[in-house]
Amino acid sequence: MKLDVNALGTFYRMAREGAGLAAGRLTRMTGVETQVGITKLNFMRGTEIRRDFEDGTEKVGIRVELTGGIEGHSVVVFDRSSALRIVETLLSESETETETEEFATEEFDEMNRSAATEVGNIMNNGFVDGWADVLETVIDVSTPEFIEGTSGEPFFGDIDEAPEGGDLALLFHSHIGAVGTEIGFSHYLFPKRESMAQLLEHLRTSDGIEYDKLDGFDRMAEQGAEEVAKTATTLTGIETSVEIRRLNFVSLEAIPEEVSNEKLVGVAFEFDGTPSGYLLFLFDEESAHEIVDAMVPMGAPGDEDGFGEMGTSAIKELGNIMASGFLDGWANVLDTTIDHSTPEFIHDIGAAAVDPVIIQLGENQDFAFVFDTVVVADGREFDCEIYAIPDESDLERALNDLDVDRIDETPTTAEFQEVENT
Amino acid sequence: MKTYGSEPGIPDPVQVGISELVVSEGDDTLKSYGLGSCLAIALYEPDSEIGGLAHVMLPDGDKAANSDAKPGKYADTAIRALLRRMVERGASYTAVEAKIAGGADMFEFESFGEGVGKRNIAAAREELEKLGVPIIAEDVGGTEGRTVEFTPDSGKLTVKTANGDDGVTEL
Repeated sequence: MKLDVNALGTFYRMAREGAGLAAGRLTRMTGVETQVGITKLNFMRGTEIRRDFEDGTEKVGIRVELTGGIEGHSVVVFDRSSALRIVETLLSESETETETEEFATEEFDEMNRSAATEVGNIMNNGFVDGWADVLETVIDVSTPEFIEGTSGEPFFGDIDEAPEGGDLALLFHSHIGAVGTEIGFSHYLFPKRESMAQLLEHLRTSDGIEYDKLDGFDRMAEQGAEEVAKTATTLTGIETSVEIRRLNFVSLEAIPEEVSNEKLVGVAFEFDGTPSGYLLFLFDEESAHEIVDAMVPMGAPGDEDGFGEMGTSAIKELGNIMASGFLDGWANVLDTTIDHSTPEFIHDIGAAAVDPVIIQLGENQDFAFVFDTVVVADGREFDCEIYAIPDESDLERALNDLDVDRIDETPTTAEFQEVENT
Repeated sequence: MKTYGSEPGIPDPVQVGISELVVSEGDDTLKSYGLGSCLAIALYEPDSEIGGLAHVMLPDGDKAANSDAKPGKYADTAIRALLRRMVERGASYTAVEAKIAGGADMFEFESFGEGVGKRNIAAAREELEKLGVPIIAEDVGGTEGRTVEFTPDSGKLTVKTANGDDGVTEL
């Protein structure tokens, strides 16, 4: 099975169309204004998907099986409280007014269970109709199943196409929220491998990349992230760990949308080699101050910009060493060398730090693989978001050169192994 | 980010994301967050109080294959699309005026050449001149990000930089 950017681009369009239709239908049904958040194609390991479900909140899902143009399972997942809220809204709009009073309850009785299933089903159908439009094909949908649980197991443990611990799956992932409320839900599509292979074959317009080489992607992301966490701990003395590590395929425009509208502190680099591209480390202001305090023990006098010369150079130095670690991690997997520029400091609205990069890449590509990483510290402020955005053609070349056998030889770190075995 | 459905009388500004353009009238507020090297192009016609805002990413749509599908992505095609939609709504072409903001150069990377922001500013100026639309105010270039808000009835374009209250300019 091979994939290329054109095929992934079509998948991305499907994900967006589907999310748009689903949101529109939710609005029509409940009268609640809805908003589609970031839509992504994620390449995720089974363990990471499971971790998504294990955040301690109870979840409710409505799952359908798909056949025809795409085969697999489509699942709409709500936080339990969101699901109850939507059901409340829905039932209070209907004529059963006398009964709505009772829906302040926290339980799913038969009535609101069937209402939730109805909502989920209509949304699943919205997604499916969006995909079918893009693919110009017919997709059949089974009757919906209602699922409750606090882990991934009840939601996709019993479906064959869901990835096992170490397997890498391509997921469509969207988030839709109701404006001005806490109501939100996620959507996952788990396609069957054969169905996916057929689609990719049909959509592909270039030689493309062997699907198995995506393992190399993931290993790059893993190595890079681990190096960053290690470096940050060494330099600042703050114990840090990798919280999220994910490979996304998104349209360039979606990247700044994901970044906070708050003022952030960042360090940016361009890197050159196979692949070349851009690397950004973004901290919220509080974390940046914490880092300066940790690295400049005597205290750094701030200026009107807040960080002063010493603070700025401390953050640049940290960024510089983290960048070397990150890119060494990549170079190690790809068996190549990657050079990076001197650090550029930025203290500005988050999106403004990202848009120059997507503009530059936008001259030659519409989409990008983004290596999203979040490094956090226990008990202290250290939140660092890392965006690594390689030039697309370079990345394709780097992956094609990659010897798949080598992937397994590159040492992995203990932490993710542990998680995989649980 | 797209919003589906709406309730009457929402005071919230309409967000104009990267590569998007919105035409509106009256006291609607159109807003683009965090422009770095991207450029905000506001066109308005004072008599009809019809105006629009584009949040463009690249200079040259005529060279690009997908500019028909995404006119808001490029300076040249966005300006033409804004004008066309405004005229369709009843604006008088010859009275349209322009304000632009953004196009900062945030980083000095070798690969950026003379600057990705500068290219967008130059492209917008060229296209506006070609179409005979005067630029009556601008806040462009520099090294700082901007957030802009535009209201068609007054034609006011408010530009905020990250430096809090000191950083507000009204065009």
